[in-house]
Amino acid sequence: MTNWRKFLRDRWRYFDAALALAVIIGSLVYIYDLLVGNRGLDVAYITRNYPLYLHAVFNVYATTIAFVVGMALGFSVGWLRTARTVSVAKFAASMRVEKRERQEAPSGSEVTRRLLVVLSLLWYGTKYVVRRIGDGFVEIIRGTPLYVQILFASSFFIVFLPQYASEGILIGIIALAINTGGYQAEIFRAGLQTVHSGQVEAARAIGFSRLKAMRYVILPQALRLIIPPLTNEYIGLFKASTLLFVLGVQGEISYIAQHEGFAGDVFEIFAIVTVIFLAITVTLSFVVQALERRFRIPGLGIEQVKLPRGVRLARVGG
Amino acid sequence: MIRVEDIQKHFGALHVLRGITFDVQKAEAIVIIGPSGSGKSTLLRCINLLVEPDSGKVFIDGVHVNRHGIRHEWVRQQVGMVFQSFNLFTHLTAIENVTLGLTRVKGIPHDQAIEKARKLLARVGLAAKENAYPAELSGGQQQRVAIARALAMDPKAMLFDEPTSALDPEYIREVLDVMAALAREGMTMIVVTHEMGFASNVASRILFMDAGKIIEEGTAEDIFQNPKEDRTRSFVSKILR
Repeated sequence: MTNWRKFLRDRWRYFDAALALAVIIGSLVYIYDLLVGNRGLDVAYITRNYPLYLHAVFNVYATTIAFVVGMALGFSVGWLRTARTVSVAKFAASMRVEKRERQEAPSGSEVTRRLLVVLSLLWYGTKYVVRRIGDGFVEIIRGTPLYVQILFASSFFIVFLPQYASEGILIGIIALAINTGGYQAEIFRAGLQTVHSGQVEAARAIGFSRLKAMRYVILPQALRLIIPPLTNEYIGLFKASTLLFVLGVQGEISYIAQHEGFAGDVFEIFAIVTVIFLAITVTLSFVVQALERRFRIPGLGIEQVKLPRGVRLARVGG
Repeated sequence: MIRVEDIQKHFGALHVLRGITFDVQKAEAIVIIGPSGSGKSTLLRCINLLVEPDSGKVFIDGVHVNRHGIRHEWVRQQVGMVFQSFNLFTHLTAIENVTLGLTRVKGIPHDQAIEKARKLLARVGLAAKENAYPAELSGGQQQRVAIARALAMDPKAMLFDEPTSALDPEYIREVLDVMAALAREGMTMIVVTHEMGFASNVASRILFMDAGKIIEEGTAEDIFQNPKEDRTRSFVSKILR
């Protein structure tokens, strides 16, 4: 009696997962039954198309490479977008102060003063322009459909780099990487900006350079914060990788497009494809949940309540 | 030990420091008081160059530090700083907070760093808490870890920016005790604080700042009992009440 209760309590996470899967698969089976139940399942048809199911591996592969490349891009652009730019009004104000002081108490030569003004103007100007380029990149990626971006990348290669125009996989992965780079830039920016500015100050105060402070203090905290949105982005990208069929790349959907032509009796195939995608994404979310538990900072955020052995919560109102 | 000469600082059109000059001798503890917005924190940050002064000179141990050719990272290692809001690295345990600078900035081997960190944590009375994360510590304990973290870099002087003003009253004592012990051991300190007990017991001098200038300077008795300036008198009467 007590044994199975203990078993249930300890293994609840697995039961929980199994239950979630059962609900998902159950719903699919129900839908399947509604649509083709009366004409029966064409097992031969499903097994005949086994190469199709292996093509999901390609989607995982393309997504992962694009995601990692996009991560580097996203981190760079995201970091860039946290750069402080000085507004023109503020810059002008500090220039006025500097001019007044120069008139009140001239020191140093006029030439070095002028040079310093020009240099600071260049520095802030460059910072401003570079930051605005980052902003523009994110807006363009976020504001246009991925489908259009893939076609755009393809036509870009056809026009400017025709020798690579037949490399569908390469073009597809580049398009996906740039796309996810734009989204990840926003994720990274949010993560970096959420880390309290006092953390950087403390790191700088014990002698860390900007880069080392980023590496040892900000990034470890920011990455923990952005695990959930990054997972979201990966899953989104994984699903979006099916769009690569327009490039004729051997993915799930292109196989169907080639062999079945989207016509006729393909319900079975789409049902299986659905299940394959679900299995991959659901597995991933469980892995990520485990990761999150592993990297949680003790004492911060919401903790799963774990009772010591033998202790039970009092029943309320029972 | 620390010398500041005619420091000016603007934030945009705001003139925060208007010509600050003072000297701190070795093993001296100085307390800076003054109303909020008077530039106390900015002054401290100018000393370890977290904020770069617009003009004026900062000397640490005889070295003019705010000039070209001196790495700010090196300067900051010479002067430890403790913040009002502790700013412990939240993703690291107490002992990792202390060792991070040792291993990553000074390049000391891990086991030596651990050994040193243990000694420092024991010195601030937290030997038992070395594996606790900041979020699991009380405010007073966090601030003491922060002091140990700053001491780990073997600073020549320490800057304290209102170290107790974010603490619950019950924890203020333990932090002040650690600071007083440091001062007794001969650490050069500049403390921004409104703890009058600490100021009169520990400080060798008190500076009163207002509107970016040092208005008055003297021993605790001078400042608290017989202030010369009107502004000092009105400020002291408000905080001593």
